[in-house]
Amino acid sequence: MKKNTVFSIGRFVLLAFYVLAAVFPLYWIVVTSLKGPKEIYTMPLQYLPTSATLDSYRKLFSFSSFSLYFRNSLVVALISSLLAMAVSILSGFSLSRYPRQRTKGILQLALYFTQTIPTFLIMVPIFTMFSKLGWVDSTGALMLVYVATVIAFSTIMSKGFFDRIPVSLEEAAKIDGCSMFQSLFHVVLPITRPGMAAIFCFAFINIWNELFLAVMLLMSNDKMTVPVALNSFISKAGISWDVMSAGIVIALLPTMIVFGFGQKYIVAGLTEGSVKG
Amino acid sequence: MKKHMTVLFVLCALLLVLSPAFAAGTKEEASGPVTLTFVETMTSPSRTTQIQELIAKYEAQNPNVKINLVSPPYEQADNKLTLMLNSNQELDIIEVRDHTVKQFVNNNKLVDLTSYLKAWDQGTDLLPLTMTAATTVNNTPYLLPQFFFVKGLFVRTDILAQHGFTTMPKTIDELYKMSIAITGKAPNQYGFGFRGKGSAFKISDILILSDVANISVDNIYKTTDGAFAFTTPAARKAVAAYVDLYKKAVPSDGINWGFNEQVNGFISGTTPFLVQDPDTVSMVAEALDPSQWTVIPMPVGASGKTYLDYGFAGLGIPTTSKHPDLAWDFISFMINAENNADFCRAYGPLPVHTSTYANDPYFSSGVYKSWEIEMSDPATYVFVKYPLDNPKYPAWAQVQEQTMQSLLLGSTTVDQAIKSWEDYWK
Amino acid sequence: MERKFYRWMLVPALLFLTAFIYYPVLRGAVMAFQNYNLFDLNQLRFNGFDNFKAVLTDPHIKFAQILFNTVVWLFGSLFFQFVLGFGLALLLKKPFAGRGIYTAFVFYGWALSGFAIGLTWAWLFNGQFGLVNDMLIRLGLLSQPIGFLSNPNLAMISVMIPNIWYGVPFFGIMLLAALQSVPNELYEAATLDGAGAIRKFTSVTVPYVKPTIVSTILLRTMWIVNFPDIIYAMTNGGPVNRTNILATQMINKVFKEYDYGQGSAIGLIIMILLFAYAMLYLRLTEKGGDNL
Repeated sequence: MKKNTVFSIGRFVLLAFYVLAAVFPLYWIVVTSLKGPKEIYTMPLQYLPTSATLDSYRKLFSFSSFSLYFRNSLVVALISSLLAMAVSILSGFSLSRYPRQRTKGILQLALYFTQTIPTFLIMVPIFTMFSKLGWVDSTGALMLVYVATVIAFSTIMSKGFFDRIPVSLEEAAKIDGCSMFQSLFHVVLPITRPGMAAIFCFAFINIWNELFLAVMLLMSNDKMTVPVALNSFISKAGISWDVMSAGIVIALLPTMIVFGFGQKYIVAGLTEGSVKG
Repeated sequence: MKKHMTVLFVLCALLLVLSPAFAAGTKEEASGPVTLTFVETMTSPSRTTQIQELIAKYEAQNPNVKINLVSPPYEQADNKLTLMLNSNQELDIIEVRDHTVKQFVNNNKLVDLTSYLKAWDQGTDLLPLTMTAATTVNNTPYLLPQFFFVKGLFVRTDILAQHGFTTMPKTIDELYKMSIAITGKAPNQYGFGFRGKGSAFKISDILILSDVANISVDNIYKTTDGAFAFTTPAARKAVAAYVDLYKKAVPSDGINWGFNEQVNGFISGTTPFLVQDPDTVSMVAEALDPSQWTVIPMPVGASGKTYLDYGFAGLGIPTTSKHPDLAWDFISFMINAENNADFCRAYGPLPVHTSTYANDPYFSSGVYKSWEIEMSDPATYVFVKYPLDNPKYPAWAQVQEQTMQSLLLGSTTVDQAIKSWEDYWK
Repeated sequence: MERKFYRWMLVPALLFLTAFIYYPVLRGAVMAFQNYNLFDLNQLRFNGFDNFKAVLTDPHIKFAQILFNTVVWLFGSLFFQFVLGFGLALLLKKPFAGRGIYTAFVFYGWALSGFAIGLTWAWLFNGQFGLVNDMLIRLGLLSQPIGFLSNPNLAMISVMIPNIWYGVPFFGIMLLAALQSVPNELYEAATLDGAGAIRKFTSVTVPYVKPTIVSTILLRTMWIVNFPDIIYAMTNGGPVNRTNILATQMINKVFKEYDYGQGSAIGLIIMILLFAYAMLYLRLTEKGGDNL
């Protein structure tokens, strides 16, 4: 009994340490966003705002059209993530079941290869390509680029999920008279739903936070996304910390929500191994 | 097979739905109002709002014209504008800065404004400095300057008074002595608002090179006899004095101080002296009481002069514009004496018309008086140029930062640092 | 007949990759061999390996230092991210009351953008107004504030801490999932064989989880090397080049100096190094089995 209590206390202490370390920067950002601009720079340091105010948030939404940018980001991130998810279902399944080992190996290598590429290397070529096509300042074009940036990892994940599902399921479905597609959509896919949710979460979080491609490929002010808007709070005169901290808090909300709902699926999707029946 | 088709259909539908979004990039040249695209690069949220107000004013007066304002974030803006110009995007008005004008002209992206300026009724009202700035490259006006950024010395008069200092430093030597004397008089009290990173050379150059008697106005790094400015004995001494200032009057963290930290040091009182541009005025005014601070002209060096770099930004017309005349109309509107004065009053930097300084009390009183003094005494406050057209200039900032930081930390000697700078500019 | 089917299913992904990744990479690679400098594009021509030479032999920004920084950044961050992430996963493996909400709070860091993280931590580590300095002084561990980001010896550690903070959730999630996927029967069999807790860990858990670990670490390696956001926001490579990694130097070349030729050269160097490392790594861990 004693050994268990020691372990429990130890476990509790460690868990507490982890969550405090994790939450501590967030606390600081939230507190900064609730202080007025004058209080942010006072010494000695205020751990809590002496008079909490929502002024920074008010300034955020009236000053810059932040709600518009928020909507832009939502549209871009949602559509790109859904598209990436859909495409990776096909490519992941195919890669998982691909009969020729050599080609499979080469394809996997090609996917891992994309992860070595720095964004800055392809930024200018993509911009040049788009400007020749007349696709600069196009939200649609940006969405396509985003899908391309996440599709490699999404496919790798997707393949992993499909790997865990025994081929026997599809074969059983085929015997029952299903075509390839029917067996994919009606039999295999429902089981990998957690995995698909995981892919969606990964894609969404990455796309939501992407800055440089958005800066380069969009032009009109009303098409800006949230990271671009946050970055525009840095000017020659430095960082406007009041609106910046408020902006970071607001920008964090969708990803936290997606993540909050998704992490159950992410973990479940990654552990999904056995199939009932 | 049916499902096969369904999926393909869905994907195609998705692509079709998205494709109208692609057309958004191309210009819709309707037979209605003309749309001009205006790209600013010194983006800041408050400034963008002011520009939008001016645009609204212009559109009200010219119902046939629409101005589409593009405001990329400041840190990436110049780069993005360069890319846009080089890929021949159709832009009509662009913000040109002192360090981008040469580059744009090199790549043949700017329209020569000589004829427009000649025909402009306010052309003769511009400051001589404005025309000098406008003709930075090839003695031809490729832009019309809109703002000047000239350094001034911000002082926390209340902190100085608190510690028994009643006079203002007139020379750089006095400034150093006062900064060092004030350091340590109270916990966390230092003297000088140091700039450690991010174009730090703009500030250190003034303090160091103002001790040299014969700096050439065309290139701050050369003397009138063609020598490299830092190798003169006066400069050598000044570099050592600058390092000494860091050691004795600046928190050790100062080596990493950017604009934010510099200004925070001033606002919090940690460093009562701050060398900065006039657009800092509004930030400081928001945080401090007028009785707590003031701005005085930059102190002079051992040469009896102080060498000031005149940073500027203005508007130009890209060669890809299909409506240059209309673009000029807008530019001359934005930068006419009245609008320029209004804008500068709200945003902070110095305006470009002579009449503004003569007629507008705002720019010749209060803290702006110091800048007016600097602008009207060319014998003491000498305006010099950086070698902006030298292809080595863009990379200089990073190199200078490295060697200067090394010097301040004591890993290099003054002579080694000066030698490496000399080698760089050879 | 089936193979054709699988091939068609790969087409959409391959289209995206070819159009927006592979083709631009080729174009970018070409720039590395040209004197592509926005300052004056009239003189654009191929300059062989000049860009690479310039980067490797730069007398002011020493390449050896940049490479060293990159290695320290990578392995230092990776090690702690992994160890702390694994620890977290082990702690979370057994259910407890409120675990759902707890995990939301302990994992959220990964949903933040690197840029926001860098800015926040730069503020926390600030030598004058930073929370870290303030707390350490109040706790009596320090008498004077330290310039975490301006001290050449402390700067790299100071930028690595937010990176570790950021990477722990990712490993935590991945490893938790892997740990939970170990079938209970294996543990039961081991208990029957008389194995203790530690023995169970080494002979049941680790071998089962190894493939996941191997591929997760490889991916994470590539991501960390290509992640300049935090350093860029905190120190921009300083002080004195001590936190400058390959990726941040690339940003400097591209954004500050407009030199896309040298910037692309650095990009290629990054890719070649990562690729070589990946080959070596996979060969060494071949026994570990297949991929994710």
